[in-house]
Amino acid sequence: MSAAVQTREGALILDSHKLSHHFDRVQAWEAGERIAPVSVDMALTRACGAMCSFCYAMMQESQARSSIKTVHALNLVDDFATIGIRSVSLVSDGESTLSKAYVPFIQHAAELGIDVGNATNAWEWEPEKIEQVLPHLTWVRFTVAAGRPESYAQIMYKGPEHTEVFDRAIKHIKYAVDLKKRKGLKVTLGIQMVLMPQFKDEIIPFAQLGVDLGVDYAVIKHCSDDEQHTLGIDYGKYEELYGLLTQAEAMSNEQTKVIVKWSKIRDGDKPPYKRFYGPAFLLQISGSGLVAPSGMFFNARHSKLHIGNYTEERFIDIWKSDRYWRAMEYLASPAFDAQTMMGTLPIQHYVSVALDRHAKGIERLQPATGPKPLHANFL
Amino acid sequence: MVNLRYAQTDTPLPSLEWRQLSDAERRTRVIDVLRTGMATVNGVVAIAAAKEDGQIIVNLVEPQSASKRGQLLLDLEALLKEAIDPGLAVWLDPLGDRNSLRNLRGIEVKA
Repeated sequence: MSAAVQTREGALILDSHKLSHHFDRVQAWEAGERIAPVSVDMALTRACGAMCSFCYAMMQESQARSSIKTVHALNLVDDFATIGIRSVSLVSDGESTLSKAYVPFIQHAAELGIDVGNATNAWEWEPEKIEQVLPHLTWVRFTVAAGRPESYAQIMYKGPEHTEVFDRAIKHIKYAVDLKKRKGLKVTLGIQMVLMPQFKDEIIPFAQLGVDLGVDYAVIKHCSDDEQHTLGIDYGKYEELYGLLTQAEAMSNEQTKVIVKWSKIRDGDKPPYKRFYGPAFLLQISGSGLVAPSGMFFNARHSKLHIGNYTEERFIDIWKSDRYWRAMEYLASPAFDAQTMMGTLPIQHYVSVALDRHAKGIERLQPATGPKPLHANFL
Repeated sequence: MVNLRYAQTDTPLPSLEWRQLSDAERRTRVIDVLRTGMATVNGVVAIAAAKEDGQIIVNLVEPQSASKRGQLLLDLEALLKEAIDPGLAVWLDPLGDRNSLRNLRGIEVKA
């Protein structure tokens, strides 16, 4: 796994995991305890105003979309705190900034000591909203598909002529960068490009945009596809891009680090593990309210791994249920093959690689020593 | 309790006997097990396909809540593995994206 990248604010780990900082939970898991996840990745809605060509949410439709009310979201935060969840990221399968629950959810989580991160296209993330949430966020990662307005609009919206969405996003990102500086906020701001091999000409402009914006990092990652290859990603073509990616990384300066998630790009479409241990530590919840071990299983196709919906029953009861643990046990059993039965390299990938190596005795996890990296509570 | 001893175990594949059956024969075997083996599933699940590679594609006759459908389908899969072949796995037909804007991309979720 790749080492941390040193930023002005601390060590930033984007291409690896932080399980060693949660060794208590690794030990409990290994001892057979029903552990709470360290982190939850979720969305407050399935809705989104963008139409990104790389979006995995296109493959994540389940049977029903429940409307998530603010009361559901606040109860969820209470349950997270009660069982010991340490962080929550609003990413998953919808644009959470569109939800009425967005601001109260973040503020309430912060009050209860849960770290919150957020990925957004920033189109509806206007100054008033930014002021309300930025002081409470640990990180914000903006989805920026390309560094040039026309390419951005083509990849993320209806066509190259719709550059207004790029202008809007950049205006809001700049506002956040400025607010962070003015108020001395600890939040980390980054932009992310989900790289499909055909967008290789966007790599350098994207890195340049990150540097020009003065965000803390600009990260480039591979594009996930489902096990049926719905998006048709040709993972063999990433190797041709290594030179451009290396060139992009070299554009890093003191303020902005350009980071490539090399391990995911190199792993391609086949994980080294057969069993999928990661979800017990990093659970995902859909913007439909569906609780399933991973976003890879939100689609109706994977209904056997659907556990519950937190708009219909309290999350804490779902987590305590035998259903929850039956799903986790299934993923750890020979009935499940991570190499053929789910999409490529999920959000739990790094954690799953480490836990697999731990379980096989190849590389046992050890408790962390030394200073904590940034965002230690986000696995 | 999550069991870590299966980290290196291969997932069973369907037997030669299963693979040599015709589509109709495989389907019949699954339906027969459903009729006799599990009252909770009979009438709730319809068999759409029983594939040579062990994938059993089913549909839910009536909508089931997330808290019920997972259990139902895991029970069904366990029954089929036990009664027919350990290499079988149960799936539903996939659903496409309901987001009208993203649908303009024309991406169709593959089955």
